[in-house]
Amino acid sequence: MTTAIPWPVAWQIARRDLNARFRGLRLLLVCLFLGVGTLAAIGTLTGAIEQELAIRGRAMLGGDLQVEVWQRPASAREMAAFIALGKVSSGTRMQAMVSAGELAAPVELKAVDQNWPLVDRLRLTDGREVGAPPADSAWLGEGAAGRLALKPGDDLTIGGQKLKVAGIIAEEPDRLSEGFALGPVVIVTEGFPARAGLTQPGAMYRSKYRIALPPGRDAAALQASLEKQFPAGGLTIRERSKAAPGAERFVSRMGEFLVLVGLAALVIAGIGIGGGVASYLEARRGSIATLKVLGATSGDIARIYLIQIAAAALVGSLGGLAAGVAVTPLLGKALGSLLPVSPGFVFDPAALLRASAYGLLVALIFAAPPLLGARHFPAMALMRARVSPLGKARRDALLPVGLGMAAIAALALLTAAQPVVTAWFLGGAVVVLGLLGLLGQAIRWLAARLPRPRDPLLRAALANLHRPGAQTGALVTALGFGLSAFVLLAAVQTSLDRNIAARVPQRAPDYFVLDVPRDRVGAFTASVAAIAPKAIVRTVPALRGAILAYGPPAAMIRVADLKEIPEEAWPLRGERGLTYSDDVPQGNALTAGKWWSKGYSGPPLVSIDEKLAEVLDLKLGDQLTIGVLGVERTATIASFRRIDWDSMGFNYVLVFSPNAIADAPHNLAATIDLGPSQAIAGQAKGELLRALVRGFPSSSVIEVGGVLREARDLLSQVSTAILSAASVAVLAGIAVLLGAIAAARASRLYDNVILRVLGASQRQLLLLQLAEYGALALLLAGVALALGSATAWLVIVQLFEFEWLPDWTIVLSVLGAGLVLVIVFALAGSIPLLRARPAQALREL
Amino acid sequence: MVTSPSPAIFASNLTLTLGSGDSAVEILRGIDLIVPQGQTLALLGPSGSGKSSLMAVLSGLERASSGALNVAGANFAALSEDGLAQARRGRIGIVLQAFHLLPTMTAQENVATPMELAGMDDAWTRAAAELEAVGLGHRLTHYPAQLSGGEQQRVAIARATAPRPPLLFADEPTGNLDATTGAGIVDLLFARCAETQATLIIITHDPALASACERVITLGDGQIASDSTAA
Repeated sequence: MTTAIPWPVAWQIARRDLNARFRGLRLLLVCLFLGVGTLAAIGTLTGAIEQELAIRGRAMLGGDLQVEVWQRPASAREMAAFIALGKVSSGTRMQAMVSAGELAAPVELKAVDQNWPLVDRLRLTDGREVGAPPADSAWLGEGAAGRLALKPGDDLTIGGQKLKVAGIIAEEPDRLSEGFALGPVVIVTEGFPARAGLTQPGAMYRSKYRIALPPGRDAAALQASLEKQFPAGGLTIRERSKAAPGAERFVSRMGEFLVLVGLAALVIAGIGIGGGVASYLEARRGSIATLKVLGATSGDIARIYLIQIAAAALVGSLGGLAAGVAVTPLLGKALGSLLPVSPGFVFDPAALLRASAYGLLVALIFAAPPLLGARHFPAMALMRARVSPLGKARRDALLPVGLGMAAIAALALLTAAQPVVTAWFLGGAVVVLGLLGLLGQAIRWLAARLPRPRDPLLRAALANLHRPGAQTGALVTALGFGLSAFVLLAAVQTSLDRNIAARVPQRAPDYFVLDVPRDRVGAFTASVAAIAPKAIVRTVPALRGAILAYGPPAAMIRVADLKEIPEEAWPLRGERGLTYSDDVPQGNALTAGKWWSKGYSGPPLVSIDEKLAEVLDLKLGDQLTIGVLGVERTATIASFRRIDWDSMGFNYVLVFSPNAIADAPHNLAATIDLGPSQAIAGQAKGELLRALVRGFPSSSVIEVGGVLREARDLLSQVSTAILSAASVAVLAGIAVLLGAIAAARASRLYDNVILRVLGASQRQLLLLQLAEYGALALLLAGVALALGSATAWLVIVQLFEFEWLPDWTIVLSVLGAGLVLVIVFALAGSIPLLRARPAQALREL
Repeated sequence: MVTSPSPAIFASNLTLTLGSGDSAVEILRGIDLIVPQGQTLALLGPSGSGKSSLMAVLSGLERASSGALNVAGANFAALSEDGLAQARRGRIGIVLQAFHLLPTMTAQENVATPMELAGMDDAWTRAAAELEAVGLGHRLTHYPAQLSGGEQQRVAIARATAPRPPLLFADEPTGNLDATTGAGIVDLLFARCAETQATLIIITHDPALASACERVITLGDGQIASDSTAA
């Protein structure tokens, strides 16, 4: 039995080598730096935002607790309960139309009492820090001021009531917890909406109550107690640690996705690490053999070089961590309005630990095979010619590689909020990398069997693709993955963009109108027809209500009793839009049961989205209880429907028979479709808007174009973030390429020198390199185009169920830019070899 | 009864075949050899006769395909690759034609390394003393690239002899050196061997160098063609 040298002796020998030749591990350093740096930056950024959201929870929520209820104020009993808990600030939120002179714009109207804001102050552009506006005046969001050309002191009209602009809002303390807004905000005093007739029974408004608790009170416990006290009131309660759940969810999902993209980049970097370690050890053949001649065992060799590689990996990882932390504020600035809050300089040990764990595990997986191969490198190599690269030691490497892969999968899955998505991503990445690896081998195999070109340079170029030690497989995998990601992102982004730009407006109406009075539908339609005679106006009854219970009549499940609401059962969360109809709604198809007859007057019935029915395991004949304006109503499930959500019109999960809910106070919602062929001029659109504001002051209009613009902006920023993370994959691919060039330096130098001796010019040698890398680039282009497009098609058509509409000019330009980058780097990396002087090189070889 | 000391090398019917099947090449064919302790022996023969391969097998760098081999008291035929490496530690020194110093280590580090591998505590000071003995006391911190060919070979000799091995191999130690430097190196090698009372086996093409050894074996086609011992 043999024993390895003690670790201190191994360290002593390893350190001497590192002192002089640390440069040889540059590729390992660069790859880990890039990969770990990316993951550290993403993790730190996500952590910083989540931390910021958590710290500012109370300010963002405007208190410790927030209670929200649709279409009614809190009852006296509810209000008494709120006041018993602490200081209360009440108010309302709704969509409204603002007009000023000839201009009109939809806004989000926010009415607040004199206690608002309970936390922090509202900042105006003139530097003042204020609370609620004075009576008969309003604080105006910058967007509204710009669109309506208003400045402090000007007049504006909402719901037929005049107000004075008292100031322009610079920063609203509780903006984030207000959620997605369909227009700029206008803040008015609490009593204004009622005076303007905007809160009549059935109007679509929300009452909000913020409560500041005395110090030491447990907000989460009080939330639970309120929910228990008022289970049927349709109250949506949030506490300060969940001030902006939408923003938190977005940041966490986005962060998780970017971590996965970063992990993919790190795997590419891993190929570079493997190549770097292999070429480093290859360059040390002589030293390893000499050490063996001097009595070093294979275990000693493994220890000595493990120490060197681990030291380099640590340095690369630490550098990456430092860079990741340092660039976080810059990233925050670059991503701008995509982020809910701007992160400062943050040190998040958990994120850094995770990034370095990923880095070191990837290093282990890719460095183990060459390291274990080097163990078996024979001492006799000193006396025999170099015939083959280091042994692969595939069997020896199975254990560390398998353990490393399992640890990465476990780490990714354990830290994932969506383990299923993560598992799919990891599986997909393994499949793609495996495919690319096989393709690389196939290309190598094919190159070896193609007929030899007569041109000696072309012949040499082809031979370089399959010669012993050729890096074709690694290059196809590394660069192919990065370039495929480029194609994928370009195709997905342009497809989504074109779907939104071209297809959505075709199917979506031009305007949504809320709170059209029930008794004035005819006047409303006539007003639209007077300006746009060919416009199609559709109206539906619009109510709000929460699902309170569901299931078989004898065993109904109360939603309040559910410990956790599954992700797919989102309609159970809070209040939802409800409607009733005599007919199956447009764009819906019955999948089970029967629709009620016109004028049906039997027991109340309801038709449910088939997906919700499946999630909640509902059967025809089961019952559903909803709370509308504080009143519980129960209906029997008569049918299931398939909803075409893409129709962009009114789509309701729950549609009732009219006799079930029509007696509740409510208004109508309307869509106005001007139609592509009857598109009216911008001036006429303005006229339509003004006519609606004048004729229907309590109604509010939402322009679909504006919402789409915001969605496209958001999409573009999300794409930028993903593209930035994917760029690291291409950078890592280029590092692999440069590493491959460096690894093949000795044999390339030998070839070049011999060709120079035989009379080849530098230009011819450059052409040889160009032919080789050009052929490789062409192959990569084909691979990336096929793989990237196929994946993008899956995402667009199968996942998003959109049309496949990529902009091929952009896709090919992105791919072309990537390929040019590859060739430029490849040639730049080869230039030193072309400059070698034959006589000198021959002496050194 | 007086027992004669066991030989430094005992080899019987050694063969070495590289490759397999049709491409198999017989490098050594039935070598029988006994080398007493303290003997100086020269291996002569034309290129491809198997000199370097025989040295590789005798020094444990290569495992024989068949035959019995006992070197410095160890049964080489029974040892694994790593076992052979351990058997070399402190027992066998090797000097190669192309020096093969570790390019990333200084002269002193190069000489200390085999002693460190053998677990010797005073490796560092012994390395310095050994370099002093070969006339390189002023070059301790120099890297191989900063030394002349002759100096590099002196370092290689110091590295081989520093652990005081009973058996020393030298594969054409003057092959990369000019005649004057080469002569100096040969003198040094013999002197160090005499001082440490080591068995010395030199591979050479040089009849003059061979004649300086007590015994000369000539190889031809993987077999011992002649074996002569000086009177």
